[in-house]
Amino acid sequence: MTLRKRFQLYAPKAAQAGEPVGLVSDFQRFSIHDGPGIRTIVFLKGCPLRCQWCQNPEDMLPRPELLYIRNNCIGCGKCLETCPARCITADGPHGVAIDKAACRLPECGACQAVCYANAITICGRHLTVDEVLEEVELDREFYDRSGGGVTFSGGEPFAQPRFLLALARAAKARGLDTAVETSGYADWEVMLPVMAHLDTVLYDVKHMDPQAHRRLTGVDNARILDNLRRVDALGLPIRVRVPLVPGLNDGPENLRRTAAFAAELSHVAALDLLPYHRMGEPKWGQLEKDYPLRGVSPHAREEVVALAALLEGSPVRVTIGG
Amino acid sequence: MTSPAEQALLEKIDVLQLPGPTARVEAIRERFIAVVPEICVERAQLVTAAYKETEDQPVILRRARALEKILDNMTIFIQPDEIIVGNQCTKPRSAPVFPEFSCKWLEDELDRLEKRTGDVFLISEEKKAVLRELFPYWNGRTTNELATALMTPESKEAQRRGVFTVGNYYFNGVGHISVDYALVLEKGLSGVVAAAEAELAKLELTNPAHLAKHQFLTAVTAANKAVIRFAGRFSALAADMAATEADPGRKAELLEIARVCAKVPAEPAGSFAEALQSFWFIQLVLQIESNGHSISPMRFDQYLFPHLLADKAVTAEKAQELLDLLFIKFNEINKVRDEGSTKAFGGYPMFQNLIVGGVDREGEDATNPLSYMCLQATANTKLYQPSISIRVHSDTPRALYEKAAEVTRLGLGMPAYYNDRFIIPALLSRGLTREDARDYGIIGCVEPQVGGKTEGWHDAAFFNIAKVLELTINDGVDPLSGERLGPSTGELTTLATYDDLMAAYRKQMAHFVKLLVISDNAVDVAHGQRAPLPFLSSLVDDCIAKGLSLQQGGAHYNFTGPQGVGVANVADSLAALKKLVYEDKAVTLAEIKAALADDFAGVAGESLRQMLLNRAPKYGNDEPYADDIAHEAALAYCREVEKYTNPRGGGFQPGLYPVSANVPLGAVVGATPDGRKAGAPLADGVSPVSGMDHSGPTASVKSVTKLDHVIASNGTLLNMKFHPNALKDSQGISNLIAVTETLFNGGGTHIQYNVINKETLRDAQAHPENYRGLVVRVAGYSAFFTSLDQAIQEDIISRTEQMF
Ligand code: SF4
Ligand code: SF4
Repeated sequence: MTLRKRFQLYAPKAAQAGEPVGLVSDFQRFSIHDGPGIRTIVFLKGCPLRCQWCQNPEDMLPRPELLYIRNNCIGCGKCLETCPARCITADGPHGVAIDKAACRLPECGACQAVCYANAITICGRHLTVDEVLEEVELDREFYDRSGGGVTFSGGEPFAQPRFLLALARAAKARGLDTAVETSGYADWEVMLPVMAHLDTVLYDVKHMDPQAHRRLTGVDNARILDNLRRVDALGLPIRVRVPLVPGLNDGPENLRRTAAFAAELSHVAALDLLPYHRMGEPKWGQLEKDYPLRGVSPHAREEVVALAALLEGSPVRVTIGG
Repeated sequence: MTSPAEQALLEKIDVLQLPGPTARVEAIRERFIAVVPEICVERAQLVTAAYKETEDQPVILRRARALEKILDNMTIFIQPDEIIVGNQCTKPRSAPVFPEFSCKWLEDELDRLEKRTGDVFLISEEKKAVLRELFPYWNGRTTNELATALMTPESKEAQRRGVFTVGNYYFNGVGHISVDYALVLEKGLSGVVAAAEAELAKLELTNPAHLAKHQFLTAVTAANKAVIRFAGRFSALAADMAATEADPGRKAELLEIARVCAKVPAEPAGSFAEALQSFWFIQLVLQIESNGHSISPMRFDQYLFPHLLADKAVTAEKAQELLDLLFIKFNEINKVRDEGSTKAFGGYPMFQNLIVGGVDREGEDATNPLSYMCLQATANTKLYQPSISIRVHSDTPRALYEKAAEVTRLGLGMPAYYNDRFIIPALLSRGLTREDARDYGIIGCVEPQVGGKTEGWHDAAFFNIAKVLELTINDGVDPLSGERLGPSTGELTTLATYDDLMAAYRKQMAHFVKLLVISDNAVDVAHGQRAPLPFLSSLVDDCIAKGLSLQQGGAHYNFTGPQGVGVANVADSLAALKKLVYEDKAVTLAEIKAALADDFAGVAGESLRQMLLNRAPKYGNDEPYADDIAHEAALAYCREVEKYTNPRGGGFQPGLYPVSANVPLGAVVGATPDGRKAGAPLADGVSPVSGMDHSGPTASVKSVTKLDHVIASNGTLLNMKFHPNALKDSQGISNLIAVTETLFNGGGTHIQYNVINKETLRDAQAHPENYRGLVVRVAGYSAFFTSLDQAIQEDIISRTEQMF
């Protein structure tokens, strides 16, 4: 998606006078699968996990990053002339190569400004709480009519705890419905204060087995499951979300264990099976990273239905797609 | 308050659990779908013969005689299992020929009809020979030729260069109308005859003005009697078929058809079945008398309802089945268009718009069980006619809204939603009474009017606003032909400020709107002189009282409505010039002009194009900068149009919708400063330029509300595409309603939703340039479809089909 024009040109972080500033990668208006009603998602950049199937790989690192979309490049050469570090070179008739090691982001960003074709974009803007909420407020009428609101996602929103707290608090003060979409991998001390300002928690449970979880995401799941119990104890409505990745976490055993865990909790509104898709795959390439799941095909609908059927006896409502 | 009769009906018909299609409906639908359209020459033969016999007669009587000749002699048939009967041609879905309006194009294209890419019609060599033999008679006698003779050379040149196309009455008969169906149901056509005879009796023939009235009223009487005889022929046929029918069930049905057709439309309708049959004869004959299309039933749920209410015998299942059968009949009507027009009107459309819901003449909610049943009939028949619409207002029952949203989800692109809150004031501003404004329906695509008393010529033109901008940029000279079309308003490079640019644009606009008005009025006059329509006129107020045909100003309300096309392209172009040239000085006018002339050739051209595309604000993203300019650009057109009057004594009123004329009109416009390449389609209606609506549907909706929809009282159109996944459950339905309501609360008047299907996505793969803005929202993620690689596109196509 594209940031609105006013945020489109990258500007290095301005000097701040105490006000919390967050690193936002994008907004997505008319989001209809991430919490109730019509919502705007605010993507906060930076995440401690390294999930192999990540569909927002541009949101992993907690700093602005260059993305290069070769298909958009028209070979105009403007970026080459502009780069103060001379780290961009021609690469083929219609392309460039960027030496990221030599690049002076986050201070620079000059190439993005002259790349009219949006072949070079910079993911990550430093925005204040008011700037974010001004954007969120644009769709207020839609939220009011559909029971929607704002969803803070990422990346891992709790990876910017101070900013997230300020955002959630200010959003609630403006009467917005708030949700967070989290991996649950954060210190409970930073999670707890935010909870008071949330209406819904969308909580990923990627694997029940600690080893497998570590292998697939780079981190252990003990803290995640502990935090989920704590969120539940607060009485907040939870949607447990399982990204259903073929061959990685879609075994019957894991799904049953996940459902059993969800069933032990008191405030799980639903367990959402999110069928794997590959729409984020191109972004791995734009970041010059290898996609670990290259060639993995999504489930057919019947397979997803069959997997959901495994959980039929569960007291928790199971949905496909959320 | 519900009356006891209404209470009883509600107990009989559960609007939340309406019956699905019966086996009969399914079978007839299957049979219909299998039919390939053909050309039917019978009408052409009969009308030509009638004209040859009546050359000494006044034109209105000739028209009545022609209708009599057709209805008395055309082939009629009753198909197996049919209950509602009445055919337009020798075969269902065939298209009749109307040589009296124009036939030169048909003569030229006879051999192409089977071969063209869209809207194919079969025609045998024998039939071609029949037509070739009768065409010469019409040479010089058509409405089209008279209209052309009445136009000025300048206005014809503007048409030739694509500044505007005169609406379809230039080549066709008058249509785009809704008659007083309620009158027919209540009084019967014998009531209409009686009214005409009463007026005739009042005439004083020594008064020279009364001579013409006498002719008109005589023609009305003859035409109505011809329709009654036509129904009688079906009655006789049904009785004949009953005599030899072996199956006792079908025999009884045929006898019932014989009884009904002997009674209606001559007499007032009683039962629900009689009312439907009476309605159908009217709807049918209007499309035999003329081929203006968009003959719109409008508030069918209102005028048919008393007959459902009073019919104690009909069950919910039977009533729904009858309605479904009628809905299928709508699809049997067809029309052959020239190849050029099939590009603007693809898919054999007849635009018979049927609208449900809304407020009544007193301003109260008018929803009734039939409103739901009509939506159900669309769901049951899944065909493209009638074009079903729904009016919504602050008190529209949530259940009706939800029913409509469920039909939207089927992916037929229907119903279209209309907004009482702003359409009623728009009509008031055009001089309708409060009651009439509340009683509006929709003609054709999106054009509001009150039925039974309006001749609105809603399809008066497609006016190419983008071409006007192109001419402004080129000082009045058409870059495609090198010829001067408009006044000199200054070399682009001499327009020192944005205000200078806008002033030049307004001057060009004024010039071309004038030429448009001349052309439209020429066509209008030609119809009054050569093809007044007595049957149609007899069912529209105040023709009988005035003794004047519709084409000569007999209607109570008279309008001419030309549509502006390309608002978003002009808005984005002006916004780019304002921002990048006049404000940021990032590029000069000379550079822009050179790049446009070259269609952005070369790397430098492409780089400039990318700047125009990506560094200027775009209409449709909820950004006031571009949205305000869009408002201005549209107003410049609308204000010019509403200055003028038509020969029927009414005013011009602008609309902003393109049907699909945005494609052919785009083909004649060179590159534009919004970054659009030469020849590419223009934006659709009031929708943003395809691919420039980066910020999603909510932002587009908010931008669209910035336009003045009230001044565009001939209708505006907003198309929105959704992935089926977005509408999958009750939350999806409520989201859809939230989008509609936000648009309508903000001042939008129309929206329709296209649910993306596999075909759309396949087409997007083949023609990505037309789908740059197509966003697919699959659970938890959305992306521009055309930017994804093929394997991922394939995933999405398979998910789209399976709705997950
Ligand atoms: S951000 Fe600056 S240093 Fe880095 S590639 Fe772009 S122009 Fe060069
Ligand atoms: S400025 Fe953009 S389009 Fe031009 S060469 Fe650099 S990356 Fe490609």
